[in-house]
Amino acid sequence: MLTSILIYIFFLASAPLFIGVVNKLKSRLTGRTGPSLFQPYYDLRRLLRKETIYATSASIISRIAPVIGFVSLLFAGMILPIGFYKPLISFDGDIILFAYLFGLARFFQILGAMDIGSSFEGMGAAREATFAVFAEPIYFFTLGSLAFIFGCTSMYEIFHSISLNNPAFLVFISVASISVFFLMITETSRMPVDDPNTHLELTMIHEVMILDNSGLDLFLYQYTSYLKILIYATFTSNFFNPFNVQNHYLGFSIYIMIIFILIVNLVWIETMMGRFKLKSIPQYLLFAASIGILNILVYSFFNK
Amino acid sequence: MENVLNILFCLTLLYLGTTTRIMAYLNVFVTQGILLFVILILPLFNKFSAYTFILPVMILAVKAVLIPIFIKRKIMLELEVRKSIESDFQQFNFLLLCVFTMITVFVSANMLAKYTLIDSIPFAAAFSTIIIGLYIIIFRKKLIVHVIGFLVMENGIFLLGVSIASEMPFLIELISLLDIFVAVFLMGIAINKISSTFAVDDITGLDELKD
Amino acid sequence: MPMNILYLLSGLPLASGALFFTFNNLKVKYRLSIFTAGTHLIITYLLFAGFIAPPQNAWFNFDSLTKLFLMILSNVFFWVTANSYKYIKHSPIEKIEKSRQIFYNMTNLYLFANTLALISNHLGLYWVALESTTLCVAPLIYFYRDKESLEAMWKYLFLVSVGLAFAFIGILFLTLSAHGTEFMDNALYITVLVSGASKLNLIWLKAGFIFIFVGLSAKIGIAPIHPGEVDAVSNSPSPVAALISASLGGTALMGVLRILQILSWTSLLQFAQILLIIGGTVSLAVALIFMFRVTNYKRMIAYSSVEHMGIVLIGFGIGGIALTGALLHLIFNSLNKTAFFFMAGNIHRNYKSREIGRIYSLLNNLRWTGILFLISFLAVIAMPPFGLFFSELMLLQGLIANNQFVLMTFIIILLLFIFIGMSRNVFRMLYRTTDKSTRTFNEHFEFSHLSAIVLLCILAGLGIFIPEPLAKIISDVTRLFVHGI
Repeated sequence: MLTSILIYIFFLASAPLFIGVVNKLKSRLTGRTGPSLFQPYYDLRRLLRKETIYATSASIISRIAPVIGFVSLLFAGMILPIGFYKPLISFDGDIILFAYLFGLARFFQILGAMDIGSSFEGMGAAREATFAVFAEPIYFFTLGSLAFIFGCTSMYEIFHSISLNNPAFLVFISVASISVFFLMITETSRMPVDDPNTHLELTMIHEVMILDNSGLDLFLYQYTSYLKILIYATFTSNFFNPFNVQNHYLGFSIYIMIIFILIVNLVWIETMMGRFKLKSIPQYLLFAASIGILNILVYSFFNK
Repeated sequence: MENVLNILFCLTLLYLGTTTRIMAYLNVFVTQGILLFVILILPLFNKFSAYTFILPVMILAVKAVLIPIFIKRKIMLELEVRKSIESDFQQFNFLLLCVFTMITVFVSANMLAKYTLIDSIPFAAAFSTIIIGLYIIIFRKKLIVHVIGFLVMENGIFLLGVSIASEMPFLIELISLLDIFVAVFLMGIAINKISSTFAVDDITGLDELKD
Repeated sequence: MPMNILYLLSGLPLASGALFFTFNNLKVKYRLSIFTAGTHLIITYLLFAGFIAPPQNAWFNFDSLTKLFLMILSNVFFWVTANSYKYIKHSPIEKIEKSRQIFYNMTNLYLFANTLALISNHLGLYWVALESTTLCVAPLIYFYRDKESLEAMWKYLFLVSVGLAFAFIGILFLTLSAHGTEFMDNALYITVLVSGASKLNLIWLKAGFIFIFVGLSAKIGIAPIHPGEVDAVSNSPSPVAALISASLGGTALMGVLRILQILSWTSLLQFAQILLIIGGTVSLAVALIFMFRVTNYKRMIAYSSVEHMGIVLIGFGIGGIALTGALLHLIFNSLNKTAFFFMAGNIHRNYKSREIGRIYSLLNNLRWTGILFLISFLAVIAMPPFGLFFSELMLLQGLIANNQFVLMTFIIILLLFIFIGMSRNVFRMLYRTTDKSTRTFNEHFEFSHLSAIVLLCILAGLGIFIPEPLAKIISDVTRLFVHGI
């Protein structure tokens, strides 16, 4: 139990580091020196010192939205198995809680964005809502097929039942991880769904929603986004963890290695690809969802 | 292990539903040829005779090498590069249709497997390949894409033959492969002539003959 | 001795077709083709009349159905080849030198493929040979090398290939229906399937029949997949058109008939017959609709082919005496269409147009062609004493014997209106005068007229009197489908 809490705190503390590494690698790949690895920490500290200003047309929603987002993601992190350790919260059916904690955070972020009353945030909110509709089936089909095969609905149980002895499972897992990778890219607004560096109003999706927040609110939003990407990266890496590793330390270092490989993948894709046209993003997401559907179809009939 | 290959086959079909570039279609076809080759040589690992290797090697040669080379050289080079993307097409609905078809085929294959003696997954994979090949022929406009849709359909029929484990003599399979190659050859020549005569290479020009 | 027959029958066309690729002299090719066609005809007739015994081989099957269809094919091919020189040497359009060079090659290869399809006992071999006939015929459709032939060739090639792919799925389903029986490994041999038909799995047999029927209907040229054949026939030179509509449809039909033969031993025969009747009636209706709208006389004859194939399908669907009528109808249709297309080719050559609106005063300008065109038309709408009258009469007798009065009335009405539509066009071509006729026509009595006269005389003769070998073969074929007689 104590180790789980320690690992969890380490997890929370290293969320900005993940983004720092991503940014540094991206700059290196394009020939720049780039910001320092700990730049996100400095940004967060700077934001804590600033004053929080609310729009005159904002209501109570703008005050509670960042907090709700932050807290729900904290709880989502507690459900996720990190490395090989047992998560803080684990019960039957927690995969659904996981999905809807994210849903709650997204819901309040959208509400908060619309509450400000500017059209920019409204546009971002509309786009965000649309893509969320297409992204949610991916999660449910992938994890649902896993739950269906292994017969348990707790995330920790599911990932622990994966054994890499059967080659069929190997292909299945790698195929499912493709869809989850797509999901990660969508939810955390990386390329090719959304460019995190663009500040052209017509092309922003996520940044535009937090355009009018400052101070503590912005600190909470930024930290939430860092945490979100680390949670998704850990979630994706859980597909590859060889869970029959006996030594916990070995398992944890393998986890770190897989996270690093994911970072490299992410950076590579961000550098190499441009952003998709907005109208082809639903199709991209449907492709990922159909992989999940295919998994269900094949493996639900496989266990005869 | 065969189920894995069939799943990969279905994945290629899904990819067919999302892409718009013609080179991507061709690459999918090559991948399917390679997958067919692997599916065919899998049961042969125990009995190693040169005779039974002929068919898989021929399939690999024709489907993964000869036909793509032919299509690439004769057709793609003669058409302009900017025509290699098929635009103004309802991609999203097509992919949705493909997914629904796959669901229907898998469910009905599972129901059929209770009554008759077939493997449900290879059968369903093969049947969905045939139907999606048919969809490509119906819903697309470019003629090369029609030809590739026909080839995908033939892939599906071949897979169906493998999954039913029918005792089709090797000679027949070889000659049918040759037939398909010659048919594609003729179609390729026809496409070249059509694109030079009608100045477009989709089916909008082919509506003269009607009453 | 018997195996030599096999080699001669199939090998000679293959050899000539391959040989023709080495030289270019059209006249020599023509003479060699006539020799091949003549040999083929003689051998087929000897087989048909029972003078020589067919070879025994697991791969090949020479029962009466095969002999009948071989006779049809051989006959049509011989007359077509004998007359072909005139049609392709002096064509209305130039720049087709390359087409001329491959004409005889492709025709002989077509004969080889078609013979192979007819005599094969293995469904896989049948399918391969059928696909080969498509590939042989497609370049022939493109003979005139203009826009319409290109489109016709593409449509034919594509539609028929997709249809044949469906037929292949049906063949695979037939294999599946034999799973679990003792002849599982030989499941594609027709004789094996026929003898073991009672043990086949009915679901897969049904599915197989549906797929094969739908797939082969693209090749037979019946609705709703008739455009491939209709476009091909109307845009190619007359010899090719005669080949396609008179012999190729029959070969594809034989596949359906073989499956029907298998089904006649099971309880699915009713179902298959209903499908055949529906297909035939729809073809008749489609032919009717388009007969009123057509502006091209070759297309008109093509739709008449669709109509006659529909009648044959209905005949097979009803069974009994209608089955005999259907078989006779196939024979008579092939004779008639050949003559019809020869005359149409003559008209095309002289008037240089395929439009009905451009043809005028046929009886005055082209005396022989006009008269023979008129007589062919009378034959095709089933006027006695031409054989088509008697075969359609047998069809109606079969309908009455099965108490299908509604269907019979419907069919008679359809046939009547098809007659009206077709005669409108034909009489316009024959009798219409126009003021601006600047051309003078010279018509001599040619070999094509002689062939047409011979064919039409055979047609009339067979209608009145059926010779002994033919009657025996037909009764044998009937016994294949109806058991217990």
